Amino acid sequence: MKISIKLNDIKRWLKGKERLMGVLGAAPVVAAATISGSCAGGCPYGLVNDPYPGQCPRYIDANGDGICDLSQASTTSTTDSDTSNSNTDSSTGDTQTATTDSHGNPDTGADQSTDTGGADPSNVTNASNVTSADDNGGFDLGDLLGDGGTGYHVIPLSVLLMGAYLFTHYLFTKGVLTPKRHKRIWNLLVTGGYLGTGVTGILLIFMIKLGITALRQPITFWHAELAVLMVIGTLIHIHIYRKPFKKMFKVLFGRGSTNTKNSGETCEAPNKII
Amino acid sequence: MVYDILLPTVPVLGAYLITYSLYKLGLIKKSLHVSIWNFIIGLTFLVCGGAGFILLILLDMGATLPISQQLLYWHVEFGVTMALVTLFHFHIYWKGTKAMLGLSKRRSDS
Repeated sequence: MKISIKLNDIKRWLKGKERLMGVLGAAPVVAAATISGSCAGGCPYGLVNDPYPGQCPRYIDANGDGICDLSQASTTSTTDSDTSNSNTDSSTGDTQTATTDSHGNPDTGADQSTDTGGADPSNVTNASNVTSADDNGGFDLGDLLGDGGTGYHVIPLSVLLMGAYLFTHYLFTKGVLTPKRHKRIWNLLVTGGYLGTGVTGILLIFMIKLGITALRQPITFWHAELAVLMVIGTLIHIHIYRKPFKKMFKVLFGRGSTNTKNSGETCEAPNKII
Repeated sequence: MVYDILLPTVPVLGAYLITYSLYKLGLIKKSLHVSIWNFIIGLTFLVCGGAGFILLILLDMGATLPISQQLLYWHVEFGVTMALVTLFHFHIYWKGTKAMLGLSKRRSDS
């Protein structure tokens, strides 16, 4: 009885799936519209007082104090942090005075670093308003196509990798490539992606911890580029090994004979796949 | 921002040693041991990759969210975990890894 109820629920859920997909499809548009109003132009990582050379390619230091302007909360915003609902005109006025102060008086930089240590997100939002005026003033959807503001090639690389997979899959189905070789090519690529992303990521953590600034930007760049290879490679990896992937859920969450009958295939498969 | 390295690695390393020991002692099946760690690597990949993807989009847009800092923190923490679990993955699939890298003896390949 319970099973039949659950099946009915699943059927109902599947009927509403199209509606769900519509909602999910609209989510990025809603998110982009929400971001544009309040948060555009600040530190994308939400960092406060990110020192040179910064943790992202958008590092900008117009006032020359060695701290990324995007991550910098102005002195006035810290003092006026209680008035989070201030209108846009007054906040613009505050930012202008903050910029002139930091140009003229180096002490303000020190004050900023001490005052904004425990800055809350509202201060970061204020900082975003500071820089949005003289930076690009918001987001550009064209940047997502690859060669935009940050120089990462997310979409071109993804398309290239998926095209390459389709090509090798076609060769594999036509018998030009053996299944073994096909798997080996993509296993090597995904391994390269994981190793590259992992090594550059660990390097970045140590560089941030030790305060090493040299080569941080190129390493960040390659971390992001190799991450694209890793992500697309993982999706391809899951596609190639979709049967063991499904069995993993059966072993972990399934019931009945799957644990005893089919478990051997799942556990033995690792050693004979490549 | 201060990132913890030992916090995510030590418990994960301990957990792997436990499930590996249980499997070696015959208390759990190999399929369960493998499935647990495949599930964990998938989970860490989802969190780390998802957070990284959102951060990348924000970076490209030049936008920020109130949770950006937390996203970066968890991206790094789950990334460290994923790096470690990837090593476990290589350990679990060691024969396949050796074959992939050409370290094992070549069998007749048609």
